[in-house]
Amino acid sequence: MLELNNQYTVMKRQVHAEVLKAFFAGTLEQEVDALPIKIIPKARIANRCCIYKERAMVRYRIMALMGINIETEDDELKSLSSYVSEVMEKDKHVAPILTTISTACSSCPPDRYLISEACRGCFARPCLANCPKDCITFSNGQAHIDDARCIRCGKCKEVCPFHAVVHIPVPCEEACPVNAVKKNEEGFVEIDYQKCISCGRCAMSCPFGAIVERSGVMPVVKMLKAEEHVTALIAPAIEGQFPGTLAQIKQALLATGFSSVMEVSQGAETTSLHEAHELNERKSEGKGYMTTSCCPAYMELVDKHLPFLGERRSSALSPMGYAAEEAKKANPQTKTVFIGPCLAKRVEAVKLKTIDGVLTFSELASLFIAKGVDVREMEKADLGKTDSFEDCREFALSGGVASCVLSRYAKADEVSVLPINGIDKKMFRTMKIWDKRQPEADLIEVMCCEGGCINGPGVVVKPSVALKLRGGNKAAAPVKAMRSIVGARE
Amino acid sequence: MGKKERVSVKICVGTACFVQGGADLLLYNEFLDPVVLGGCDIEGVSCLGGCKDPNAKDRPPYVQIGGVIHGDMTQEKLCKLLAEAVHA
Ligand code: SF4
Ligand code: FES
Repeated sequence: MLELNNQYTVMKRQVHAEVLKAFFAGTLEQEVDALPIKIIPKARIANRCCIYKERAMVRYRIMALMGINIETEDDELKSLSSYVSEVMEKDKHVAPILTTISTACSSCPPDRYLISEACRGCFARPCLANCPKDCITFSNGQAHIDDARCIRCGKCKEVCPFHAVVHIPVPCEEACPVNAVKKNEEGFVEIDYQKCISCGRCAMSCPFGAIVERSGVMPVVKMLKAEEHVTALIAPAIEGQFPGTLAQIKQALLATGFSSVMEVSQGAETTSLHEAHELNERKSEGKGYMTTSCCPAYMELVDKHLPFLGERRSSALSPMGYAAEEAKKANPQTKTVFIGPCLAKRVEAVKLKTIDGVLTFSELASLFIAKGVDVREMEKADLGKTDSFEDCREFALSGGVASCVLSRYAKADEVSVLPINGIDKKMFRTMKIWDKRQPEADLIEVMCCEGGCINGPGVVVKPSVALKLRGGNKAAAPVKAMRSIVGARE
Repeated sequence: MGKKERVSVKICVGTACFVQGGADLLLYNEFLDPVVLGGCDIEGVSCLGGCKDPNAKDRPPYVQIGGVIHGDMTQEKLCKLLAEAVHA
């Protein structure tokens, strides 16, 4: 996976903030066609071939932010402003969540193993001895791989003492756990939406930004601007994504225009109780293992690829589902907006009907910037009574869901837990055989993203930073509290 | 090193800086050289104003080192600037 902090992320956030600023100023339609030029000025040193291509990419990013399906709706003769006015009229269809920009795709060559200059043509030649296909030859004192025969097993890379063997992947194809990302005849990326589980890994992996998510931000900012009653449902992973405490984040949301804020951890409590109850039932009836059901990409995985797991997953709603019900009960007029790290949540939201909008943390960050809201400067909002669900904030981390279920289960020590910490190609293969060979566990916690939701495709900071800032008071003054020990001792 | 002034380092954790890569700078305990770390007083501060300057030549994240504001900060750049400041 591509390191989160990179040129592309920075560009994306800048584009988002500029668009939202213009939206709230009421000038988006007039300004939008000039934005690519404003964002990529003449003097810029281009990262792509030239500034004109960069501007074209900014145009596509803006379209994606509008929720436009670039694959089907791209019309180069159409101005951005006419796209914008369409979107102002009517929200776009949500599915599919991802879309590709074929002109951005660099059509990366098929993945291969290559022996680099670093090869010293040693005497032991472990590459030669370990290649199962005999495709290594030596010439000019160096090893070479016969691409036609190579099966890309990577054995030579493992054994080379000089690290001379490099693997050059196709980032998007490698990232997709279910092989939904393929290249077409011209070599450009294509997504098979029959297979796609909307986990967002490909979009996080492509170094050219050729796979983008169609944002759900416009419907939400339209609600905010119309001053409707909007409830922000904040995912447990939000703590640590912004420089401040949970109470300050809540206040920042109120300052941004949300009418009320509810922690989805509250819904997670109901999910945990439900799952604990169900687990008990299944165990006493000897029905075998049960999986969690809160990860929407996993739900898609089951529906599209592993139907035999349908009866295995818990019937509980996700925390988002329960929280939305609560919010609507408290105020039937309210619009509910889920704010989380997840793209697949939007697929779930469409099915649920109690959710009116979905934002990612990254989009919320741009919204804060556009509105000039500084989380750190916020007073502390009252979080209300949180004792009963405080532990459920751990739903954001791998292992956290299972532990919340178990702490609500009477005979927890009799339960064996198997956490699935991230689904990649290999894990997908493992799960396929569960049909024939049942995993030895009572409760299987499944999270598609490695590490849990704090590593989702919509996060602002990488997990190591988020973990540092999570956990109540410490985050209040994130840096002061962490003042270097070396410095403090002197 | 004798009695040398410690370098005052203010990492901006205003929203604009934080989300544009400033958050990564908070991992300074991990990426700074211990000697450099020992010579600095590092703290997180609110918006330094750089992000709001329409004429700014550089972009968030900003860090103030001994009174001077630097933009487009990265972990590498911070290592370099602080090493220079501490050993100056
Ligand atoms: S990673 Fe995939 S989408 Fe990105 S440039 Fe390479 S082939 Fe195209
Ligand atoms: S947020 Fe850092 S300079 Fe404004």
